[in-house]
Amino acid sequence: MKRHEFLRQMGLLSGGTILSMGGIQLRAMPANHFKVNIEETDGKILVILQLQGGNDGLNTIIPIEDPKYYSARASVNIKKEATLKLNNTLGMHPSMVGIKNLYDAGKLSIIQNVGYEQPDRSHFRSTDIWLSASDAKQQVFDGWVGRYLESQNPSYPATLPSDPMAIQLGSVESMLLQGKFGSLGTVFEDPNLFYQLVSGSKVDNDPPPNTVAGEELKFLRQIAATSIQYSEEIKNKADLGKNSQTYPNTNLGRQLSIVAKLISGGLNTPVYLTTLNGFDTHANQLTAHTNLLKQVSEAVSIFQKDLETLGLADKVTLVTISEFGRRLKENGTSGTDHGTAAPLFVIGNSVRGGIIGSNPNLSILDSSGDFKYEFDYRQIYTSILQDHFGTDSALSKEILFKSFSKLPIYKTSEKIAGGSKTIDISQNYPNPASEITNFNYFTTLNQGIKIKIIDLVGREVAILKDEMHIAGTYSVPFNASNLPPGIYAYNIMASNGEQKSLKMVVSR
Amino acid sequence: MPNWNNINAKHLLSRALFGFKQSDLNTALLYKSVDDFVDKELLKENPIPSPPGIWVSETPVPDNGTIDGQRYRGLNYWWFELMLKEKLSVREKMVLFLHNHFTSQRSVVSYPQHMYDQQVLFRKYAFGNLRQLTKEITINPAMLIYLNGRGSRSKNAVPNENYAREVMELFTLGVGNYTENDIKEAAKTFAGWQVIGLESKFDVNRVSTENKTILGKTGNFTYDQTIDLLFEQASCAPFICRKIYKEFVSNQIDEEFVKKMAKVLKDNDFNLKPLLSFLFKSDEFYNINVIGSKIKSPSELMIGSLKVLDFKNLAIKYDDVNNSDYAYIYDQSKILQQQLFEPPNVAGWPGQRDWISSTTFAYRSGFSDSIVNGKKINGAKIAFKLNAIDYARTFQNSENAVKFIDEITDIFYQLPLSIIKKKILLDTLLEGTVTENYSTYVPMAELRLQKLFKAMMRLPEYQLG
Repeated sequence: MKRHEFLRQMGLLSGGTILSMGGIQLRAMPANHFKVNIEETDGKILVILQLQGGNDGLNTIIPIEDPKYYSARASVNIKKEATLKLNNTLGMHPSMVGIKNLYDAGKLSIIQNVGYEQPDRSHFRSTDIWLSASDAKQQVFDGWVGRYLESQNPSYPATLPSDPMAIQLGSVESMLLQGKFGSLGTVFEDPNLFYQLVSGSKVDNDPPPNTVAGEELKFLRQIAATSIQYSEEIKNKADLGKNSQTYPNTNLGRQLSIVAKLISGGLNTPVYLTTLNGFDTHANQLTAHTNLLKQVSEAVSIFQKDLETLGLADKVTLVTISEFGRRLKENGTSGTDHGTAAPLFVIGNSVRGGIIGSNPNLSILDSSGDFKYEFDYRQIYTSILQDHFGTDSALSKEILFKSFSKLPIYKTSEKIAGGSKTIDISQNYPNPASEITNFNYFTTLNQGIKIKIIDLVGREVAILKDEMHIAGTYSVPFNASNLPPGIYAYNIMASNGEQKSLKMVVSR
Repeated sequence: MPNWNNINAKHLLSRALFGFKQSDLNTALLYKSVDDFVDKELLKENPIPSPPGIWVSETPVPDNGTIDGQRYRGLNYWWFELMLKEKLSVREKMVLFLHNHFTSQRSVVSYPQHMYDQQVLFRKYAFGNLRQLTKEITINPAMLIYLNGRGSRSKNAVPNENYAREVMELFTLGVGNYTENDIKEAAKTFAGWQVIGLESKFDVNRVSTENKTILGKTGNFTYDQTIDLLFEQASCAPFICRKIYKEFVSNQIDEEFVKKMAKVLKDNDFNLKPLLSFLFKSDEFYNINVIGSKIKSPSELMIGSLKVLDFKNLAIKYDDVNNSDYAYIYDQSKILQQQLFEPPNVAGWPGQRDWISSTTFAYRSGFSDSIVNGKKINGAKIAFKLNAIDYARTFQNSENAVKFIDEITDIFYQLPLSIIKKKILLDTLLEGTVTENYSTYVPMAELRLQKLFKAMMRLPEYQLG
């Protein structure tokens, strides 16, 4: 079917005239077959894995040397000896062998303490915040991925791209893929069944009545039309595609095997959403959480191996999100209640690997008993948009409503950031500092690095580092309890002459 | 007062019931007014149904997976049948509303006995006092298991916050009407309960006796006093009325009208019957703007399709659940994303547009095709099949193709179909012949009628109630 015919039948287009949708005037485009702009995204693909229910970050990346962790969690803890050691102070949950191997191979970046200001502990509200990329007190009704896809497909919905803009594996459509004009996602569980079910439906061309019912009818027609448009293409690409690995027969394993198949079949869809439910572990957490993390680890590591074998791994990145972490202190029913910040994973050939950020600071808790976030979750989105999809900073600001500083997640990160920059240091955490505060920095070259703290009159009050560094991401702690309260500056300087300074506040 | 005419009666039946058929509409229209119908039929007290088996009072046994699985199937079938045979009472709709409000998931609760008990509670209070129901649900075994009240202690221990949070956020007040500290304090008053056998048991030694400060009041509150405090909040009645409005009227809230509903609910001490009576007799309910605007839930779609196609008796077969006529309905309820006793999470099914994605929309068409064809999409037979000719002949105008389309579309859709669309349906039925040559006695009439019914139920309009 021709695009214009298809759209006219959706009741969205009326012969080259101006039509109005949601109060916004649009000039109807002539039939214009275009693909998802592959030059724009460089063919890059993002796979989002949503861990629903609030994943317990403290039992995922475990602070094995922090006595506060073990004292707050007398029963719901992971023993130091059992963990898969990441470094001297952190261990990974023992069921995540596959993901640990990715870490060892430099294909996993772990970003610590991801959250946001004024954290909301409602599953539903916090999920909306994460999916819409809003502030805690800001109500937004579309998803950040939906807004990104609309920016890449400016003539949507007047014309639809030849391939789905986003695919969600499952049944119930996520807010993540909502845009101003409705959904940009195509949702299904199985490509063949989807195709079979859709054949037999026709699109139609009645003008909907000007009532609430008419709005709902328009919505239904748009979904029907999208299904008719895409079900055949999806089936064809799934038939063309293949898996080089045998996936575990789990919910997530099945989802990721379909994603890999569609990518290898050549479907030009830039975003896939997969989900795994069950992370709301209020009671009897240990076994349930172990099984969930095992499922994630097995499915994700096979997915990565599949993509590598098929030669597709360079263009795909997978990111895990979850609405919140869980409380430090266990509750009385061998579980944990809703918390705030938690670590997040970004996986793929294009990531730098390693750990970004500090160990969670379990000494400074808010009134609910939760530790404070270090990175805003939208810093990760910013990094994905700019360093994976290659959008410029103006566009990522438009999509996320604000500018956020990127994190050194991707190998390309520093190039895009500022030409030849080889070092960077982020805001110390926590800030204001009273006791231990951490400084995260990276260098892309093997070179000498000096980090010092200076007071307001320019006196050096501490030197944190002054030595040769291998290219990589680092964290250095500093005990601020010996410094008088006040404002300080800290400075990083590389032996190639580059430097950067930021402010730090010490309080009691 | 709203007119009691064809349009308004169809609208009320479509919202208050799981669909309806021509004879239901005829019966309703025998009443002289909306008030008459609502008082004498819709809100009539009906007898409590007998349970799906004697197992409902058996003490639960752990690791009883196979048998419990069969019992859950039976419990689903039991409820499907209550919906199919609900006649003209809004009770089953209210039971589903309450199940979706005070959610519990069978996969967490595990024992079917507990989920059955919760159903009994919902049916008992379907038109009853919501505050009292909330008190009873707080210590209901299924809820104690689902939201982790079971085993929670507050004496020298950190109580589990799960129930305290959700009772405020989802059951009574809504986000923004309480603080994190209210949750922590209320959690102390909800502690002390265990589930032993079929009963919940309270142990006073597991509860802290210190004063708690909840929503600005301080005292050594018990769990039911905490519920009283919640119902004293100004946000409580509007929050509940908003949900009821969404369920029965529209997801686009009319805040002015919700205020009126909230006043009725409060003035009647949180009794649901006067509220429902007020709602179903109000002009706002019959506003032309909201008629046909509700996207049918999978239960409404499935049971409603069975009703409108006049399927009367499906065999339950409690002792052979895999061969029950309802087995197919049960399987489809999962695929269409409304498995009863298994809402997706504690917030329940959000409904309306959330029912529809590219895949569930396609599955809906697959379902309506299958009950006309008598087989699934993969060709496998299902237990029941429409006799298309017999069914067509239940209509007055079955032998006149044009009038038949007018008559049958009137009962299938809330929104009037356009002339163009009726023409398309007529062409489907005639398949090239002329109107004059059509009757249910011509060769191939069965197939043509099947095609017509499938096409009718594949129209997006069919998804609107």
